[in-house]
Amino acid sequence: MCRRVRRDLTVSPPDAYELAEARGYGLTASDLRRWRPLSSIEIHWARKHGLSPDAARRWAREGVGVRDAVRAVRLRMRPEQVRPWAAAGFLPGDAVEAAEAGMTLAEATAWRNVGFILPDAALLVGDGWTLDEATIARFAGVDRYAPAGR
Amino acid sequence: MLSSQRNKLLCETGPGTLMGELLRRYWQPIAGVSEFDRQDTKAVRIMGEDLVLYRDREGNYGLVDRHCPHRRADLAYGFTEERGLRCNYHGWLFDHSGTCLHQPFEETRHPEGTFKDKVRIKAYPVAARAGLLWAYLGPQPAPLLPDWDRFYARGYKQIVISEIPCNWFQCQENSIDPVHFEWLHSNWSMVLRGQDGPRAPTHTRLGFDEFDYGFVYRRVRADTTEDDELWTTGRVCLWPNCLYVGHFEWRVPIDDTSTLSVGWFIDELPGDAPFEQRRIPCWHAPVRDEKTGRWIDTHVMNQDYIAWVGQGAIADRTLEHLGESDRGVIMLRKRMFEEMEAVAAGRDPLGTIRDPALNDRVYLPIVGGLNRPAPGAGPQPFVFLAGQPDEVRTEFEQAWQQCAAASGAT
Repeated sequence: MCRRVRRDLTVSPPDAYELAEARGYGLTASDLRRWRPLSSIEIHWARKHGLSPDAARRWAREGVGVRDAVRAVRLRMRPEQVRPWAAAGFLPGDAVEAAEAGMTLAEATAWRNVGFILPDAALLVGDGWTLDEATIARFAGVDRYAPAGR
Repeated sequence: MLSSQRNKLLCETGPGTLMGELLRRYWQPIAGVSEFDRQDTKAVRIMGEDLVLYRDREGNYGLVDRHCPHRRADLAYGFTEERGLRCNYHGWLFDHSGTCLHQPFEETRHPEGTFKDKVRIKAYPVAARAGLLWAYLGPQPAPLLPDWDRFYARGYKQIVISEIPCNWFQCQENSIDPVHFEWLHSNWSMVLRGQDGPRAPTHTRLGFDEFDYGFVYRRVRADTTEDDELWTTGRVCLWPNCLYVGHFEWRVPIDDTSTLSVGWFIDELPGDAPFEQRRIPCWHAPVRDEKTGRWIDTHVMNQDYIAWVGQGAIADRTLEHLGESDRGVIMLRKRMFEEMEAVAAGRDPLGTIRDPALNDRVYLPIVGGLNRPAPGAGPQPFVFLAGQPDEVRTEFEQAWQQCAAASGAT
């Protein structure tokens, strides 16, 4: 396995490998410096969707990657809105997924308590499932084999 | 977990289905160019359509309906001429555009007749690239056939085709499922070798990014950090039905319960002397052990096949219980639903290329970089699929020796 150490671009320029990858995404060494510490693929996606370096860094500080940040901005979310989600044990990006599906933190927590990870729950909610319906469906197969009286 | 309706949306690829319409917006690899060294026609079934792929004597490739529109004879048994494919039953001749060029008896009886002008056969465009034959089954104008940069890397290339008896989408979900590698390929392989341990390093973190041509999945394992390329560069779930990890693995639906696995592989060669491969061999890999009747489990992709086939002919996603390792799978499904809607609304879906300026050696992220060094230990066995023919192995070793000699290496 080839490995490399990502050098701190604040003190050293990108190496040939990093530059080749950056070129692949249509970026220059200058872009890498301007967008540090974001990776080439993140810079590519941010630029494609009009996310500024400062905005991308603000979201990154909250633990939200560029892919989710782009979606969050589209929903007019602010970075600090993910904090309650992170505090509740969700991935920060889950807040975005939940917002897309119109789920509150309380609803997401209820779904999680039954065993649904957030993206799974969000897709089901988007399809019109209620938690009760999904819970029955989720355990229908398992319940067939449950001990009597359980 | 998905509703059965949602599951059908992902799995059904016949003409007129939403997923079928989405996949028909992309060029699909369906055969190897070198398969036509010894044959002129090949029966193929793609997304539920029975077709015949052929090369005429002028070198045109055609992909036409399996059945002659005259009396429905099987054109896989037709014969090629300078231009087109002629039915062996009554001699009707069709070219690669679907035009009927000749109806022998009709034209004898009615030399001035125009019957043949009123008959066409279903025909799809075919293009050759990187040793593969690609078909486009969608509406015109077709997008450009992607010109991936990896196709130009220096190395020995080979194409491997297998037929997997299950739905295509459970194969593609594997392309964005990093954790399976730890278990299906590492730990299970160890068990198959009769070893007790140690177990493979566990995954500790997963990440997913998106770019113009699909998703990148990233992983940190117990033995790696976020400075490792497995995290910084990641691996590609290439849209819509491919995995790219230095080699390509396309999963092309044959129909809703079988999938054509098309692998394009490259082995780096020593030195840097120019190496030109005149012909990229294409071989068909067996999936079942003829002696035992069990699926072959010795090679990486064969192990994948076992997992996919084990999910059922069409995985029943109403019964699944998704966990944290499945975040990529859910992301893929969601994007598929979105892109199906995009196509239904008349838009171009993700990853189609129409600007020729953008289609010149298109970059794909790759761990290790595009031109990776050849392994220092000499030519390595082919680990991805069982059944590599001896002549392919020999040709690879000869290429290795040729390059080693040219560079003064051993």
